[in-house]
Amino acid sequence: MSILVNKDTKLIVQGITGREGTFHTEQMLAYGTSVVAGVTPGKGGQTVLGVPVYNTVKEAIEATGANASVVFVPAMFTKASALEAIDAGLKLVMTIAEHVPVQDMMMVSEAAKAAGCTVIGPNSFGVISPGESKAGFMAHRIFKEGHVGLMSRSATNCYETVFLLSNEGIGQSTCVGIGGDMIPGSAFVDIIPLFEADPETEVIVMIGEIGGSDEEKVAEYIKDHVKKPVVALIAGKNAPKGRSMGHAGAIVAADGTGSADHKEKALRAAGVHIADTTTDVVRIVKELLSK
Amino acid sequence: MEYKARELFVKYGLPSGVGVVGDSVEEILASRENITYPAVVKAQVAVGGRGKAGGIKFAENEEELVAACNAIFGMDIKGHTVKKIMVKPKDEIGRELYLSITLDRGARRPVILFCPEGGMEIEAHPEKVIKYPVDPTRGIPDYTARYLAGKAGLSGDQFKELYALLVKLYRLFREYDCMLCEINPLAIDAEGHLLCLDGKVSIDDSALKRLPDMQEYEKSAPREPMVAEAESFNFLLIPCNKEGNIGIMSNGSGMLMSCMDALAKRGMTTRTTLDLGGGATAERIKEAVRILLSDPKIEYLFINIFGGITRCDEVAGGIRLAKELYDIKQPMVIRFEGTNKDKGLEIINGLGNVTYVDGLLAGVEVLANEYSRQ
Repeated sequence: MSILVNKDTKLIVQGITGREGTFHTEQMLAYGTSVVAGVTPGKGGQTVLGVPVYNTVKEAIEATGANASVVFVPAMFTKASALEAIDAGLKLVMTIAEHVPVQDMMMVSEAAKAAGCTVIGPNSFGVISPGESKAGFMAHRIFKEGHVGLMSRSATNCYETVFLLSNEGIGQSTCVGIGGDMIPGSAFVDIIPLFEADPETEVIVMIGEIGGSDEEKVAEYIKDHVKKPVVALIAGKNAPKGRSMGHAGAIVAADGTGSADHKEKALRAAGVHIADTTTDVVRIVKELLSK
Repeated sequence: MEYKARELFVKYGLPSGVGVVGDSVEEILASRENITYPAVVKAQVAVGGRGKAGGIKFAENEEELVAACNAIFGMDIKGHTVKKIMVKPKDEIGRELYLSITLDRGARRPVILFCPEGGMEIEAHPEKVIKYPVDPTRGIPDYTARYLAGKAGLSGDQFKELYALLVKLYRLFREYDCMLCEINPLAIDAEGHLLCLDGKVSIDDSALKRLPDMQEYEKSAPREPMVAEAESFNFLLIPCNKEGNIGIMSNGSGMLMSCMDALAKRGMTTRTTLDLGGGATAERIKEAVRILLSDPKIEYLFINIFGGITRCDEVAGGIRLAKELYDIKQPMVIRFEGTNKDKGLEIINGLGNVTYVDGLLAGVEVLANEYSRQ
């Protein structure tokens, strides 16, 4: 088992005819993901890598029974594509693009909430359940099947951690790219209940960073609802204040709101194991798994 | 800056005026027929706290105006040099309030911040600020304005003005992809009407593509030459700590932050980070090395690139190219992970003053040793 995507995921790629869309569709197919349809307005009837293309998400679902979508369209079109997927009734939509306007995601978030749809991203590598399926652009070679559930605001820190874990023979149940933006479709607190309920996941790893209060929120949730051990790494302890660190969401306000210290304190109080570095994450996970 | 915020306020019909804006005393005096006295002379800088810094003065006549302009032009306000001044009529003010619309990250919704006392730094008095969330699917209902007007003890007519103002401000917030639309102070003038006395608008960088009129303005904003040059290659360069002497290059902000943290733990300070973004080609790596090392204060370079599909031979090729083209004396510590790693290692093999490491912490270790050798 795993969360969000698995061998039963029948995926639509929105923007399949674009350069990124086509390239990553090829990668996803190679990994064994069941990509059942592509959507590009005006290109319905074509096929890309053997995958049929439709003009709308609704047609793609009617023809293929697809149950999830990954959105590989440029940032300015992400809102429209995500809303189309939500309106067509999909319950899982992964958004990839970087620099999606924040207010676009605000509106997507409202629609998702009303429809009971889980939106992942944007500015995210997507979701991978090693050995089963991947929806996104992560380099799948470094992932390995196993029992660590991982969620991360940063792609590079996630890769690094996964690489070190896999090298130690420790595999992952699912890795979720929360994404680095200010308003993620799903925050840590939205994903952790899924890991808690997943029988395959034994340890939960959360890679957070400065900015916002999503880490504090998940700490509150963990106190009463999460029995599995949680390991957290907060990046950006030494980032300058008042400056966004590349991820739009990674910013510590002048008054210290969003700081790593505040987050670590909240997480510690909830019984979360705090790691200093990605190497430290692996050390702690190893200890927890050997118990 | 204030005058830009005022331009947007005027565009949306908010009670505000732009006044006369100029880059020199001559330019301002050229519009003397539009200046009425008593006037207020205000420095235009993208930073708060102008009043305290002496960037706001009053003038009763042209002589005083010239003196005020001369005093303010070139003034340094928190590291910003004043190059623009706005002159407008001094308003007769009864009372001051605070009003803004911003984004509540946690709630993923806009929120109205309102304070019956304005003009001061509201951050200093969080307990006095009323937060009223906005449902973005519905906009601002009249009862929101009624509630706020009640809290401030406004009259029936003033409530109507507040409601109209909120609706317009919210339209501006949505249509210009704002992160913040602030009116501070929102004044009540001698006749009891609401008036936007000063304002601040900050816009989501990701939305600039669809805001052509703001692109111009953003482009004209002063930025450090190194940042601007990096930008021209689509790199994100972030000056971090002026005391630091290490430059870090990576292909993601998460990794950059991890590097900074690991270095800091060993007592080292990062001066600048450079995020390559996607497409780590040899040519781009070469340029990135050149840009970072154009700062003589960067004494060490830590390159840490980890992308599953990043080609290590390209990364290595870029480093070799930079070494061949430029006279690089600074030690470089390099780590890459991805495809064609062996080929990459071959390419950098034998380069002087270049150390390859097999991981982030190994790189930090090498840098710590270099450091202690000094």
